[in-house]
Amino acid sequence: MEDWRRIDIDAFDPESGRLTAADLIPPNQAQVTLQELQPKIQQIRSMSTSGDMISAIQLATSDPPYGADDSTKAQYLQAVLEALGQTRQADISNIIKQLSPKQHDVLIKYLYKGMSVPEGQKQGGILLSWFEKLTQEAGVNPVVHYLSDRRTV
Amino acid sequence: MSQSLRPYLTAVRYSLEAALTLSNFSSQEVERHNRPEIEVGNTSAELLLQPMHVSRNENEQVLIETSVNSVRVNIKVKQADEIEQILVHKFTRFLEQRAESFHILRRTPIAGYSISFLITNKHTETMKTSKLVDFIIEFMEEVDKEISEMKLFLNARARFVAEAYLGEFVY
Repeated sequence: MEDWRRIDIDAFDPESGRLTAADLIPPNQAQVTLQELQPKIQQIRSMSTSGDMISAIQLATSDPPYGADDSTKAQYLQAVLEALGQTRQADISNIIKQLSPKQHDVLIKYLYKGMSVPEGQKQGGILLSWFEKLTQEAGVNPVVHYLSDRRTV
Repeated sequence: MSQSLRPYLTAVRYSLEAALTLSNFSSQEVERHNRPEIEVGNTSAELLLQPMHVSRNENEQVLIETSVNSVRVNIKVKQADEIEQILVHKFTRFLEQRAESFHILRRTPIAGYSISFLITNKHTETMKTSKLVDFIIEFMEEVDKEISEMKLFLNARARFVAEAYLGEFVY
């Protein structure tokens, strides 16, 4: 048997009052399935391939699938990363100017999330320039909102 | 500073500025204890905030983990080949062995990263927060330069040694 002195007995006490990461996710989120989300992903993809980056980013950053499971979120993230990666450097600050503060908060979530997965790290340079333009526009506010927001993308 | 390094450092700077708002917080588990909550995981998820990944590419990343009274900054230094891996390992180990006089340095890095800093509310109370941020940014700038310089020295030295040694066999 392992070292019983190191067993954390409080973890087995149902009345210990400890919170896990799962307890902190805000309740009453709309559950989104992959099938419901597929049309939106398609729309983002088609907009970004046709070059309409402003609408693509606006659509991607409004009403993100907070209540979806991890694989659905990953698919959505993939579409958002493609849209972010296809934007020309010169257009970035223009697009960010047209987003609302709420959309800034969502955008920074995707930037941080994108930089934590290997697909996003390959295009780290473009994500970093999005980040730079975003902080030029909105300052440190979206970063602070990101830190304390329990709804993950 | 190169064109792609600047956005990387700006992102780290903003992330750190947002993260370094720490307050004194006594342990909820143990009476009269006050410990960095980021280091005592699995007890209280409500004290941890969202982790922030900033990456320039696969080899150069920063992970900033924040809690209510402490921040852990993990840096992955660029390691292009085996020589650089050895140099980075030796260099960070040299610093870590002197962590006592370095205040914010963590003795061992987190798995997957080259070097870690642990900043607690004690540090932000006794030192200027903006200077701490400046220090970490400057460290990230300098460490790349340092490593590539060491690599050049090492190669030059190896060439000299090889010439001196193999010169014996030239008739």
